[in-house]
Amino acid sequence: MTLRDLVVVRLGVAVNLVVGQVAAALLLPVYLDTIGTVLVATLVGPRAAIVAGLTSQVLNAVLSGNFTWLPFGVVQIVIALYAALAARLGAFRRLGTAVAAGFGLGIVAASTSAPISYYLFGGATAGGVTAVTTVLRALGAPLPVAVAAASYSTDLLDKSLVFALVAVVLRSLPRQMAVRFPMLAR
Amino acid sequence: MALDAVTFAYPGAGTPALLDVSLAIEAGTVTGVTGAVGAGTSTLLLVAGGFAPRLTGGALSGRRDIATNRISIVFATPWTQLTGLATTVRAEVAFGPASLGWPRGSVLAACEAALRDLGVEHLADRDPGTLSGGELQRVVVASVLAMEPELLVLDDPAAELDPAGADALYALLPELARRGTAVLVATPDSERLARTAERVLVMEGGRVARDGPPAAVLDDTDVARIAWAAGCPAPYPLDVAALVARVVR
Amino acid sequence: MIGYVPGASALHRAHPYTPLAIATGLFLMAFAVSAPGAVWVVVAAAALFAASAGVLGTVLRPAAILALPTWVLLTILHGLLGGAPHVMLGPVAFSVAGGERALVFGGRLAAILLAFLTALATVSPARLVEAMTARGVPFGRVYLLVSTLTVVPRLRARVRRIVDAQQCRGLRLGGSPLARLRALGPLVVPLVLSALAEVDEQALALDVRGGTARGRRTALDPPAERRADRAVRWVVVTAVVAAYAWKFLGAGR
Repeated sequence: MTLRDLVVVRLGVAVNLVVGQVAAALLLPVYLDTIGTVLVATLVGPRAAIVAGLTSQVLNAVLSGNFTWLPFGVVQIVIALYAALAARLGAFRRLGTAVAAGFGLGIVAASTSAPISYYLFGGATAGGVTAVTTVLRALGAPLPVAVAAASYSTDLLDKSLVFALVAVVLRSLPRQMAVRFPMLAR
Repeated sequence: MALDAVTFAYPGAGTPALLDVSLAIEAGTVTGVTGAVGAGTSTLLLVAGGFAPRLTGGALSGRRDIATNRISIVFATPWTQLTGLATTVRAEVAFGPASLGWPRGSVLAACEAALRDLGVEHLADRDPGTLSGGELQRVVVASVLAMEPELLVLDDPAAELDPAGADALYALLPELARRGTAVLVATPDSERLARTAERVLVMEGGRVARDGPPAAVLDDTDVARIAWAAGCPAPYPLDVAALVARVVR
Repeated sequence: MIGYVPGASALHRAHPYTPLAIATGLFLMAFAVSAPGAVWVVVAAAALFAASAGVLGTVLRPAAILALPTWVLLTILHGLLGGAPHVMLGPVAFSVAGGERALVFGGRLAAILLAFLTALATVSPARLVEAMTARGVPFGRVYLLVSTLTVVPRLRARVRRIVDAQQCRGLRLGGSPLARLRALGPLVVPLVLSALAEVDEQALALDVRGGTARGRRTALDPPAERRADRAVRWVVVTAVVAAYAWKFLGAGR
């Protein structure tokens, strides 16, 4: 990774950490904490995006004190690879395809994080997802189903939004900036 | 450092940012560059310092000769120039020499010297995040000086400093030149250029429109404008001392 | 309090890798054991870790704040909504098996939080950077882990300014979910674009300061690596390996 890539990755991590704050302030039931990872995947490539995702996971834990998030690093890797692939296939060129691809990532990401949540933490990590899980369980759903359903519903919305936002950012890049990212040409 | 008929265009740009530019910079001199926004002053600095096209991409034609690779550049905004790795000013300033692998003693000595030059020794143990813009910019310049560059390039370094801070910074430049450093500084501030530079290049549309000593080349300091308005013949005195000398004569 | 707390304990004076190794060890141990009793032994070990650094009081509060909501949910999720057998606690049927699982997961949470909050409290970022530099950790890794934390407050401030600016232009932060969703774009996009615009200058500045320098960086004040540090880390590694060996081999019996 060149020095410039490193700075972009750092930017991605910082964006991951900060945008979640914006979402929380707007009281939206999404995290948006992978937007930086996806951005790095489109601007630099999959390896850089993986680094961004894993670093975000570690720093998020450090900043919030909640180190239970660490095992979910696997999900970040999955997100990074998927986003890079989606970029390669041109998913970000149109808003519609970006949202559809984000939807797909939601399914993939939830499929990866739900088992981690279930097996390592009994379905209880933190935040709204667990609350949804509890409600579903109270309504009679078996635990694995409740965990899965809660994961999927939040992730589908979250990842679709993330992809949509990244698509808008990419479209809004001034030409001189866009030229400096060779990955975008593909 | 010498540039010979250099033309440079940024990647994806329609027109070149620099057109047929030639200049030569000697060690121990202060050279100024000025011009309107978009005239190519920043680009000239990047090319002269060897940062373009190496780090910016783009196409360069013409020749660039340089006798050293100890080159440093300072930009106008302090925040983006911090490494982010240092919890104290001293650590920030020491980062450069430490990266070069200098022995510990040399690193610390260079660090202290640079802090003294910029008058920020009293900030040595402070966290860079707590400093004001002006103090931070001085720390940035100190960080760059600690690496003992032979060519120091500055792009509008006092843009965010108050007048006293800017004066102090520009007063340092001839002192650095006296020690043998080659200094190349770009700024729209003709007043300060007039006082510190031995030679000024005025850029227009990517070309060097004028090149010579400040008195011959600059005409937009306040004193110069007054002199012009009063009907003085060119070259216009650039500051009060020159005006007085002219009038007394 | 989350973050570094200056102190004079042995852990503070130890090589920065040591508290991190202990915390990681405790983290791994928490997942190696599955019986409630064993898990809470790990929790006790983590508390001991915090106490030996003199920070038990400081980390208990953030740990409790972080853990409490999840504990409540765990109790409901597994305790109240768990399977048979049940025991009557007053008017409420409480699942025994579920209660045990809640204890296990709750304990894991507690152990992880205590362990890493203690590590955070005893490792000063400056010493960690020095330790990593002295050990030859590639600049990129050090840079990402440490300098990102200095960028975050600036970005946060920028978000606030963008929020203000957009509100002046008529952006509403309240309203229906759809309206709030639409408010995302005007807030996030300018933030990312402005940050991207700085990338070139930051990369240049870093390059100038030796970011691409090959060869060893001089460590100015490398923390000493003492025999005790190495000994402690070996103990941690052995304990973790033993715990997992027991878990996977013992469970097969």
